Amino acid sequence: MTTTVLAFDCSAAHCAAALLSGHRIVGARAETMARGQAERLMPMLAEVLEDAGVGYRDLSAIGVGIGPGNFTGLRIAVAAARGLSLGLGVPAVGITRFEAIHAACSPDPFATQIVSVAAPRDHVYLQRFAGGLPVGAPDHGAPGDCAAALADVALVLGHRAAGLGQGRIQAYPLEEDGPPTGILVAAIARLASRRLADGAPPRPAPLYVRAADAAPARPVPPVR
Amino acid sequence: MNATVLGIESSCDDTAAAVLRGRCILSNVVSSQTNLHAAFGGVVPELAARAHVERLDLCVEEALRRARLTLMEIDAIAVTAGPGLIGGVMAGVMCAKGLAAATGLPLIGVNHLAGHALTPRLTDDVPYPYLMLLVSGGHCQFLRVDGPNGFARLGGTIDDAPGEAFDKVARLLGLDQPGGPAVERTARDGDAGAFAFPRPLLDRAGCDLSFSGLKTAVLRARDLSLVDGALPRSARADICAAFQEAVAATLAEKSRRALALCPEATAFAVAGGVAANAAIRTALEAVGPVPFLAPPLALCTDNGAMIAWAGSELLAMGQRDGMDLAPRPRWPLDPDAAPMLGSGRKGAKA
Repeated sequence: MTTTVLAFDCSAAHCAAALLSGHRIVGARAETMARGQAERLMPMLAEVLEDAGVGYRDLSAIGVGIGPGNFTGLRIAVAAARGLSLGLGVPAVGITRFEAIHAACSPDPFATQIVSVAAPRDHVYLQRFAGGLPVGAPDHGAPGDCAAALADVALVLGHRAAGLGQGRIQAYPLEEDGPPTGILVAAIARLASRRLADGAPPRPAPLYVRAADAAPARPVPPVR
Repeated sequence: MNATVLGIESSCDDTAAAVLRGRCILSNVVSSQTNLHAAFGGVVPELAARAHVERLDLCVEEALRRARLTLMEIDAIAVTAGPGLIGGVMAGVMCAKGLAAATGLPLIGVNHLAGHALTPRLTDDVPYPYLMLLVSGGHCQFLRVDGPNGFARLGGTIDDAPGEAFDKVARLLGLDQPGGPAVERTARDGDAGAFAFPRPLLDRAGCDLSFSGLKTAVLRARDLSLVDGALPRSARADICAAFQEAVAATLAEKSRRALALCPEATAFAVAGGVAANAAIRTALEAVGPVPFLAPPLALCTDNGAMIAWAGSELLAMGQRDGMDLAPRPRWPLDPDAAPMLGSGRKGAKA
């Protein structure tokens, strides 16, 4: 039976969806939007399915971009994916933005490399890949503070890559809002489809990397 | 109204789902985030949103399991679409949309405050119109409830909600969060007459309320009670008792005035987390002359059953929302009332 995966992503200023049937992308939409993904996402999914003549009941799985990226966008996509998964009784597979960029853009996928994603305040999120797979936990910081993470890699791929490579490491920079979201969400669909072969995936959860901003309560006088 | 409705709620710090058939609550699951926020002395919106997104589907599954139903046996999906902390509201709305798209079931966006305000219809089948006092951590208003979509605001707080004041007082006195139960517990050993806290706005006509001055008065009382930089346990109990008494007395007097503005009311009902406070309930019970109703505690605080109930009333009226249903951080129940809170660029909060 053909595996049919509906994938979507709202990890930055966009709303994007792709429908994978077997090995072919049979429908896609990508729209730039700074806000309004909560209103736009589900109608967009319906359009992609309708154009391809596919119903929700035909899906084998949901693929969803889990970031890192815009916290609100990640939650919009992940909450919808988990709702669809429960409603359809099919798995939802979370794919990181690092994995999608690596799969779609790496010039040398099996080399030891760092994939970078733009973070607020000119910082970057970083993920190491070796042998074609992510290794270790993702990190974030100012590009200037990432020397240790970059010590032994052959190449750096992604947002602000030129600054990270500092001329010493081979850099494959991507535009801050790149790669084009259509390519990214198609990669999410393909990776999700491939991941299904590994058995039941865990429920998707946003990959925030950064802890929530929350200050502990102010001290109060002791009680005796 | 015998529909089987799934209700989803995630507008503050409780992730909740419930299944209702008519007025029968088949399940009512609440996953509280109290422990998550305890160290911060209040609900941290980003932490709340993070928890909701990973708990909503689990709560829905559990609610269906306890109701011994599958989604195929549900007639509609109702979800809180505002007002509230937008991260949580969005997560709830998106989860509900996913469920509705997958199943083809009708989706109904419910105003969280309508959920509270219609609860007496779920529990006691109260006929319209009735007077509702909504008192929680985020809200405080008197409403004349005329129908599932008909609310007239008679008055409300001009600054803080009483639940917020309880939390703040608990913080100031080194008590645990949430502050309501902690202050109530501590107040049992205290003398309410030991401090004369203000009864805000009683000198002003109408039934508007204010609690920010009361918080300041508590802070001043605490600082005046310090002995060698520490607060004596007895003084803390007295402050709690006097504060609670001030809130209860003020709410009771304002309720009397609200009832006078609404002589056609068939009942006087209270809802929201603050209604869990026994001293406040006792004071409100004495307001009369119409019957006083306070839903059981589990239906006073945030829950999915109230959203399912409001959804089923709206379903009966023919309401259906589209997949473009927008989560709304601000959503006043009475669109005709002048804004009292947050009346800036983004419009009235509630």
